[in-house]
Amino acid sequence: MRPLQGVRILDLTWLLAGAGGPRLLAALGAEVIRLEWRDRLDFLRYSPPVVPIEGATESRREMKSVNRGGLFNDNNPGKRSFSLNMAHPKGREVFKRLLKVSDVIVESFRADAMTKWGLGYDVLRSIKPDIIYVQQSGWGHKGPYWKYASYGPIAQGISGLTDQSGLPEPYPPAGWGYSYMDWSGAYYTAIAMLLALYYKKRTGKGQYIDGSQIEPGIFMTGTAIVDYLVNGRHWERTGNRSPYKPAAPHGAYRCAGADRWIAIAVFTDQEWRALLGEMGNPAWARDARFATLAARIINQDELDARLSEWTRDQEPFALQDRLQKAGVAAGVCQTSEDRVERDPQLKHLKWLIPLRNSESGTWPIKDVPFHFVRATVDQGGPVGRASPCYGEDNDYVYGELLRMPAQERAELEKEGVI
Amino acid sequence: MANGFLFDVKVIELGDEKGEFCGKLFAGAGADVIKIEPPGGGPTRAFGPFYKDQPDPDRSLYFWNYNLAKRGVTLDIARTEGAAILRKLLVGAAVLLDSTPLDTLENLGLDWAALQQLNPGLVYVRITPFGRSGPWRDLKGSDLVHLALGGEMMLCGYDPQPDGTYDTPPIAPQMWHASHITGNQAFIAALGALIARAETGEGDMIDVPVHQAVSVCTEVDIPYWIYSHTPCLRQTGRHGFPQIGPPSQHKAKDGRYCNVVANPFPGGRETMIAFLKELGHAGDLEDEKYKDPANLIGFEFVHHFARIQAEAVAAFPAEELWRKAQDRGIPWVPVRHPEENLDEEQWKVRGTFGDVHHPELGETLRYGIAPTRAEECPWRMGPRAPLVGEHNEAVFCGELGLTREELRRLKDARII
Repeated sequence: MRPLQGVRILDLTWLLAGAGGPRLLAALGAEVIRLEWRDRLDFLRYSPPVVPIEGATESRREMKSVNRGGLFNDNNPGKRSFSLNMAHPKGREVFKRLLKVSDVIVESFRADAMTKWGLGYDVLRSIKPDIIYVQQSGWGHKGPYWKYASYGPIAQGISGLTDQSGLPEPYPPAGWGYSYMDWSGAYYTAIAMLLALYYKKRTGKGQYIDGSQIEPGIFMTGTAIVDYLVNGRHWERTGNRSPYKPAAPHGAYRCAGADRWIAIAVFTDQEWRALLGEMGNPAWARDARFATLAARIINQDELDARLSEWTRDQEPFALQDRLQKAGVAAGVCQTSEDRVERDPQLKHLKWLIPLRNSESGTWPIKDVPFHFVRATVDQGGPVGRASPCYGEDNDYVYGELLRMPAQERAELEKEGVI
Repeated sequence: MANGFLFDVKVIELGDEKGEFCGKLFAGAGADVIKIEPPGGGPTRAFGPFYKDQPDPDRSLYFWNYNLAKRGVTLDIARTEGAAILRKLLVGAAVLLDSTPLDTLENLGLDWAALQQLNPGLVYVRITPFGRSGPWRDLKGSDLVHLALGGEMMLCGYDPQPDGTYDTPPIAPQMWHASHITGNQAFIAALGALIARAETGEGDMIDVPVHQAVSVCTEVDIPYWIYSHTPCLRQTGRHGFPQIGPPSQHKAKDGRYCNVVANPFPGGRETMIAFLKELGHAGDLEDEKYKDPANLIGFEFVHHFARIQAEAVAAFPAEELWRKAQDRGIPWVPVRHPEENLDEEQWKVRGTFGDVHHPELGETLRYGIAPTRAEECPWRMGPRAPLVGEHNEAVFCGELGLTREELRRLKDARII
C-alpha cells in the first residue's frame, strides 16, 4: 500500500519550487493531476537539457517537443497531466468540478492569480468546505511585498543563505551553485500539504496555507540570528572551516587530476593522530602549534597548507578510502558524473530508478531518499511513470474522473477550453 | 483543544545534529517532542556559538535554535534500566526519530521487529550517514563531507580563471545544510507514514541516509549528465552550468552585493532595459540595433548586458535599489546578512520570527519560527529549548509513574 493512497492533488505549480512539492506527494502515493495550458506552459517543458529518445540511433538534441525538457522530466515524475484553459470562464467552471473531487489545491503563481480568477480560498471553501489550499508564492500572499517576484537565487540572496556561503571577505559571497531554495521551496510545499492532510484526518477540517519560497531560507539561518541578538555578532563567512563545531583541519584539499578535491573533517585528537599516521607522522606536526585541537584551530592557515601539500598528488577516491579506513571523515567533492557513474553507495541505495515517459522512453530518475519497510514508496507514484506528456491524461480526468459526456468535451475542445 | 497540525503526535528523539532539525520541525508543527540525551546532556550542546560567548551545555545557541519547543530528558539508554525506561516511552509514542550511531538500538535488543512488537503503530525514522547497508555503510560523515560527496560543493564556489582552471576550492555553504536537507526530507516521509497510520493504525520504518538525501538535492547537474553527459561548472554566486554564464551578483555603491537577473526570460528584456534607462545607466542599450529582438539574445549580448547591469548597481546603495526594481516586476534583491531580515516589514507582518522567553535569563529572544504561514495551525513559538534534564520529573514521574525516590536513585546511578 502507498501511504497517501486515495488522496487527490490538483496541481497548478510551475518550475521546481512549486512542482517539486507535489512530486514528493506522488512518490508517497497521492494521485497528482497537473493542470496545464498550451499557451502558458512551464518553460522547463522545452528548456535544455533535452531528453533524447530512448534507443534512437541518433539522439535528437534539437528542441522540438514540449515533452522532452530534461528538468521537467526530473521535476514531475509520478504525476498525470491534463489541459485546461483557466483564462476561459468555462475553464474555471470545469476547474470547480475538479475541485469537488480533490483533496488539495496547490499552486505557485504570483500571489494574486487565483483571486483574479475569482478562485480565492473563500470561493474554494464555499464549493468544497474541507479543501486544503496551499499557495506557494515568492514572498507570501500576506505582507506588503506580496507582489514581488522570486526564484531560487533571489530567495537565497534575501534570506541570508547566499551570504553564508563562501570564502571570507574580501571574497564575494559564493552563494549556491543551484536553486537550493527551489528544492527547499518544494520541501515546504510538500510539508504544508502533508501537515494539512494529517490535520484533516484528525479533525475533518481543511485549511489555507500561505507559503513563501523565502521564509524556509530564513528559517534555516536561525543560529546566526540568535547569535546576533545575544552576542551582537554579524555573520561572517569562514569558507569551508567549521566555525562552531570545533574542528581542524576542516576543508577541501586539492588532489591529483583536473579540479579534484577532497573534503576532510577532523574533530577529535584520535582522528588527528589517525590522519598523521596516514601522512607518515611528519616532523612538522610535532610542533606545539598543532598539539591540541584548540591550537590547530588557531593555526589553520599553516595546517591547511601542509595538508594540501600532502593531498595534491593523490588520487582522490583512493585517498578517501585510505582516510576512512583509518577513521577520518573524508569525502571526495563528487561531480554529477561521479554520483551517476561511480558512487557505489548511491548505486546500492538505488537512488536512480528507471521511469518511462511516453515520448522519450525510459531514463533514470532520482528516487526519493526515504526507504519504507512496509509501504510502497517510489518516485513513479501510483501511475508508475516519469513526467507526463502535455495533456496525456485528459481521458482519465475528463472521462473517468468527471464523467464528462463526449459531446460536452468535444465542444469545450472546440472552444479552446480543453 | 487541537492546536498545531500535529497536536496529538508524540515524538521520541534520540541522536545528534543529523536528526535535530527534523525534530525541530515536529515540535514547531505542534508535536510533543521528547528529546532523550545522555546524562549531562547531548553532544550538540557543545556546538557554538554560546550565549555571551561562554561555553556551557545550557548556553549553546546552536542547541537553542535546533531544539526549540522540545522537552528534554536525560537517560543512559545503554544501561539495562535506561533501556527499560526507553521502552516505556516508546509504547506511548507515535514517532521514534533516531540518528544515533549504526546498530545502537539493535544492540539494545530494539531492532525493528522488537519495536513493532512493543508498539505496532510506531513510525520509526532512522537517519544514518550512508544507510544501514551497502559498501559505504560504515564511512564517517560530517556536514562538510556530506556536502562534498552529495555534489553540492562541486557546484558552489568561484569562477575559474581565464584558462579554465580553478584557483579556489569548491565551497560548502554554511551552516548545517546536510542536516537541513535530510531533516526536511525525513519529515516529509514521516508525515506520509503518520497519515497512513491515522487510517490503518500501523506504523512503518523509514530509512533516510544523509548521503542519498543530500545527493538528490542538487538541481540541473544530474539531468545534464544523464541526458547529455555534460558536467556543470561552478561559478561565482550563480548556477553551475555547462557554460560560464553572465555574472548576476554585483557590488552596489555601499559595498554590498545585489543579486540581479542576468539572463532575463523572453519578454523580460524590454522591462529591464526600460528600468536601466530610468536609472540613467542603460549603456548603449538605447542604440537602434537593440530595437531588433534578434540582437537581445546570445552569449555576447548577455555578457554585455551583465556589464551594463553591474554599472547600474554600482551607482546606488543596495537596499535603495532593489525595491525600485521589484516595484517594476524585476526580481532583484540585496545579498543580506541573516540578521538583516529581523527588521523587514514583510516578515513582521507574516510572523516569520517569534518571541521566545528565556525565564532564567530574564530575556526574550527572536527566533525564526515559521517556515510557512498557517492561521488555522500556527507554528509554535517556544517554549525555549530544554535545559539539561529539565523535564525528567515531568516525564519520568508524571507520565511514566516513577516515584521521586526512584528518580533520585536513577540519578545517583547516572542512569538519568
